[in-house]
Amino acid sequence: MTYLFDPVNWEWLWSGNNLRFLLEGFAVNLQIAAVAMVLSLAFGLMLALLRISKVRLISVPTGIWVDVFRNLPVIFLILYLFLGLPESWTNAYADAVPGFFSEALQSGFVLAGILALVLYNSAVLAEIMRSGILSLERGQSDAAYALGLTYFQAMRRVILPQGLRRMVPATVSQLITLNKDTTLVSIIAIQEVVRHGRILSTSGVFFGEVQAPVLQVFIVIGLMFIAVNLVLSRLSRRLEIRERKRTAIKAGRVTGVEDQVAAETDLVTPR
Amino acid sequence: MTGLWEVLTEHLPEFSSGLWVTFRLVVISLVIAMSVGTLVASLRVVPSAWLNRIGGVYVEFFRNIPLLVLLIISFAGLRRAGVPISPWVAGTASLGLYTAAFIAEALRSGVFAVGRGQIDAALSLGLTYPRVLRRIVLPQAFRTVIPTISSLVIAMIKNSAIIGVSLLALPDLLAEARIVNAETFKTNETFFWAAVGYLLLTGTATLAFRYLERRYQVRR
Repeated sequence: MTYLFDPVNWEWLWSGNNLRFLLEGFAVNLQIAAVAMVLSLAFGLMLALLRISKVRLISVPTGIWVDVFRNLPVIFLILYLFLGLPESWTNAYADAVPGFFSEALQSGFVLAGILALVLYNSAVLAEIMRSGILSLERGQSDAAYALGLTYFQAMRRVILPQGLRRMVPATVSQLITLNKDTTLVSIIAIQEVVRHGRILSTSGVFFGEVQAPVLQVFIVIGLMFIAVNLVLSRLSRRLEIRERKRTAIKAGRVTGVEDQVAAETDLVTPR
Repeated sequence: MTGLWEVLTEHLPEFSSGLWVTFRLVVISLVIAMSVGTLVASLRVVPSAWLNRIGGVYVEFFRNIPLLVLLIISFAGLRRAGVPISPWVAGTASLGLYTAAFIAEALRSGVFAVGRGQIDAALSLGLTYPRVLRRIVLPQAFRTVIPTISSLVIAMIKNSAIIGVSLLALPDLLAEARIVNAETFKTNETFFWAAVGYLLLTGTATLAFRYLERRYQVRR
């Protein structure tokens, strides 16, 4: 305890550019998270719609795809793509990456990281979205078809707006997991916050001549993540309360835990 | 496809010992997660604002911190501070305490599903609050949250891979796969078998919990 709070061990935080160095690394994590989030949501919705398709030739392979990628560790996927991705792909990424991304994101390896995060999270989100859609009563789609709406119209105007609203809490907790998982790309030598923390705590001499102890450096990094994730979860709760006030319906919501295996549709619709 | 079988048969010792390490990591962490999770959930439901707050801080801290950062704090951080912690202790404690936050949240929601009436009835029969929790509330709460705990155990199996590849150098399944890959350069084949190993573990866990769920279903 005395070690933890000893002011000597916290001096590094204010000396030189140390804190700024950590924050720059953290910004890389947030960028990776943002890109992976957008892509995972889009792919996840696509997978969810394919999985509930009535054509078995589409729904069965999609189901296998989703179940495989949902049940593999993200770190496994990151490492595999890092080692196994053809060089032409990584080169193509390095050429195509937009210039406004920070320098750490320009390397071709980032493609392996983002691709792995998207593969995993889109599979998990697909399950959440599927259970959100299936939690709607059958009458909703029947009524939509009876009114003469086509499949796509019914999806866009009736099913998705209601189904997706129910899965907001579960989706947000998955996005928080995704945000935490961005630290894993440090394994494949992407210069993000964990890497920066390691650099600080092994070569503190170069940055402001004060030794930075590992413990304190990584507590600060942990607090950065906690702060951002707390804001995310507060935001989702605010959103949920507002929705409930506006629609005045107590919708059975899709419950969310980390990696919510939303297969428990029974939890969503109590029979 | 011959290469695929060769990689498995020639490196079976590595794969099986890795699978065994991963399995033990998950079991030990699960024991820690369940006990700490139950304790934290109890803190969050007892009628004391102070204890509630302590439980809440625990949950928000461990739920929102990346596991990798937690592992670095508990291993490299504590070692530098002069605590001689072993990789096994650091790894299982990190994964256990991390998952405990999610277990606590699940149990808390299970406790609220039990219903005020039962708690009042037990209290009016003269049971003390800890006894009510232990005898009436928690047994039912555990049953209602079996599906949630099932998905947490699966998440745990997946998260255990982070222990192996981060600084702790525990030879779990993914770490062994990396070793085999470095020897053979057959990335696709090696990672295929590692994936099979992980899917075996998560698949078995899914089936086991489905059985438990059916056996201990709460009829309401």
